[in-house]
Amino acid sequence: MSRDAGVLRLGVIALFVLIWEVAARRFGNPLFVAPPSETLVAAFGLLHDPDVLRALLAAFRELVIAFVIAVAAGLIIAVPLGLSSFWRGALFPLVLILYAIPQVTVLPLFVRIFGLGPPTKIAFGVTHGVFAVILAVVAGIRNIDPILLRAATSLGASRRQLILNVVLPSLIPSLFTGMRIAMSGVLLGVLLAELYISTTGIGFFSQTFTNAFAPAKLFALILILATIAITLNELMRVAERRFNLWREG
Amino acid sequence: MQVACIVAFFGAWQIGSSSGYLDPLIVPSLSAIAVAFAALLHGGALWSDAGVTLYELAIAFALAAGAALSAGFVISRSALAVRVFDPLLAGLYAVPTILLFPSYLLFFGIGPPSKIALGATMAFFPIVLATIAGFAHVAPLRLRAARSMGASELQLFWYVLLPEAFPIVLAGLRMGLVLGFLAILGGETLTSNAGLGHQIVTAAESLDPPKMFAYIVVAVGLAVALNAVTSYVEQRARNTTA
Amino acid sequence: MGGISVRGVTQAFGASDDARRVTALEDATLEIPAGELMCLIGPSGCGKSSLLDIIAGLAKPVAGSVTIDGEPVRAPLPKRVSFVFQENALFPWLTVEENVLAALAFQGVPKAERRARAGEAIAAVGLDAFRTYHPRQLSGGMKQRAQLARAFSLQTEILLMDEPFAALDEQTRLLLGEDLSVLLARTHKTIVFVTHSLVEAVFLADRVAVFTARPGRVKTVLTVDEPHPRTQAFMTSAKLAGLRNELYELLYDEVRKTMETGAVA
Repeated sequence: MSRDAGVLRLGVIALFVLIWEVAARRFGNPLFVAPPSETLVAAFGLLHDPDVLRALLAAFRELVIAFVIAVAAGLIIAVPLGLSSFWRGALFPLVLILYAIPQVTVLPLFVRIFGLGPPTKIAFGVTHGVFAVILAVVAGIRNIDPILLRAATSLGASRRQLILNVVLPSLIPSLFTGMRIAMSGVLLGVLLAELYISTTGIGFFSQTFTNAFAPAKLFALILILATIAITLNELMRVAERRFNLWREG
Repeated sequence: MQVACIVAFFGAWQIGSSSGYLDPLIVPSLSAIAVAFAALLHGGALWSDAGVTLYELAIAFALAAGAALSAGFVISRSALAVRVFDPLLAGLYAVPTILLFPSYLLFFGIGPPSKIALGATMAFFPIVLATIAGFAHVAPLRLRAARSMGASELQLFWYVLLPEAFPIVLAGLRMGLVLGFLAILGGETLTSNAGLGHQIVTAAESLDPPKMFAYIVVAVGLAVALNAVTSYVEQRARNTTA
Repeated sequence: MGGISVRGVTQAFGASDDARRVTALEDATLEIPAGELMCLIGPSGCGKSSLLDIIAGLAKPVAGSVTIDGEPVRAPLPKRVSFVFQENALFPWLTVEENVLAALAFQGVPKAERRARAGEAIAAVGLDAFRTYHPRQLSGGMKQRAQLARAFSLQTEILLMDEPFAALDEQTRLLLGEDLSVLLARTHKTIVFVTHSLVEAVFLADRVAVFTARPGRVKTVLTVDEPHPRTQAFMTSAKLAGLRNELYELLYDEVRKTMETGAVA
């Protein structure tokens, strides 16, 4: 039965592509829309264009760096916060306030501070991802099965041993959930920064294609980026699932 | 203690500004921001820009909600349809919607319509997913019980489906509103000729950080207000249908 | 070695001026000589688990003292006391073998000895074929056996068990009880075993301490005069049935009292 659903889903996608193709050719103004066939051809072209490739690679590099920093910073901030109910109560409202600010509004500020290059994109990605990690890790720490802590204490574990051997391993499922959400956050942040800074990188190309009314290339660029986004997301989901394996049920 | 931390944060900021440690061109002092904020409130420009943003949001939300609620409900009626579309929609949701913005710019130009399109696209997904979840996964036991008592389709809808699905759909609507707002702000920041986001960028580029921060405060205020209002509505609804 | 002395232990939860303060134990006194298997039985909420926590050094009593061989207990003594919990207290991310190795590491056993001790303990409970399995792959009975192996590997004088078989079905319980009896006959540990099951208490214990309803104190201590290892024959004997009935009568009023006052743990 689920195979039927899968087949139908492919059918739906195919239908959509077909409608897009027909509608774009028949009714679409070639200045604004491009059919999938042309989009694919353009995508192929873009992937062979060294400048575009360089921009894509740069963006990817920024993504990875931002992600790593976000996870590391998130862990460093969250573990002490999670372990100490005092600081958690004190600082959490502050964290939530910062979290509530629509981050896109501070993008121009980031550009002023970090300039027009990769650091801005990385920094913006980090701020988008770090909160997810912090929230997930703090929740993970608070949800540690108390029986495990009692068992380890009765076995004579020191505080250090408790943290290393019980708290951190228990955290791993929550950490991976946080990482999955952080990845989409970092992706969004880097993408936003890239699109905003239209002097180089992806933003440059999206701006250029838009101004030149080249929808095929623009759609192609979007398609490539979307594919990267979906792939990364899937990777994180698989990783999350794998590390949740030891959970019962 | 929580209050102390917040006070300490703002205190440090003010000290940083007045001692010259914080570059006023990047991070203005709190007093400068306050002045700019007051100026905004008195001038007319704030209202017209905030109005543009809210107008875009309203239309985007209406479009998204209308499409998502109907599509979601229709899909929820068939288990097969749910199995086909739910993963598809969830997958699409994972793609950063902002990616579509350049194509909307191309199609609609740099005015409000492109922002509306972006907001609507962004808001669509949480609403449709919540609608499907709410209506498709209604406790089957309660449905069977009602059916065995002879309820008609309409009665089933009114007495079982709707009350059960309502909180979930409402939560989805709330997410849609908030995310739509963020998307519209984002679109305005990237490329636009009006709206709060646009003003933030303009203030930044004309090297007027107090004004920029003042607009950010407005945006944050709006976001918080939206969240608060929708939370309240959700809470009231939950209390009356629980 | 391993004699436990409980003197006038009182345990309560909640602030002393709080009206909701619950006194779980009041003036509980018990002597458990070395090498004895003592069962604690009583209605829910009578403080048996609290007493076990105090003996293990995981909790401090409000009044009274617990000494082991004359030395007062103030903190967990991993080298002398090991604990088997009712809930699954195995680390889910480690295999059975790794769980036992971790416990040995916590206790401070030198690395060279750990593997051998772990292997012995796991074999003793019959889980050798499953040493590389993760807890979620094991049945309830096997998980508890793994916990037993972990406790055994520590080679402590005293073993505390808090309703270890409570989550298992009755048949598994009885068989595990038999296995436990066999293991114990070989080791001469002092064991304090908390249970709700009358048959389990009589089958396993040298002596059974019956607790009153909350606030719990020791009502009576019943002696079971039967050598270890206990056998299937003992399980089906009239002697066991008689002792079980005696226990039932002792407990009946206490359980009734607990149900009526609604004082449940």
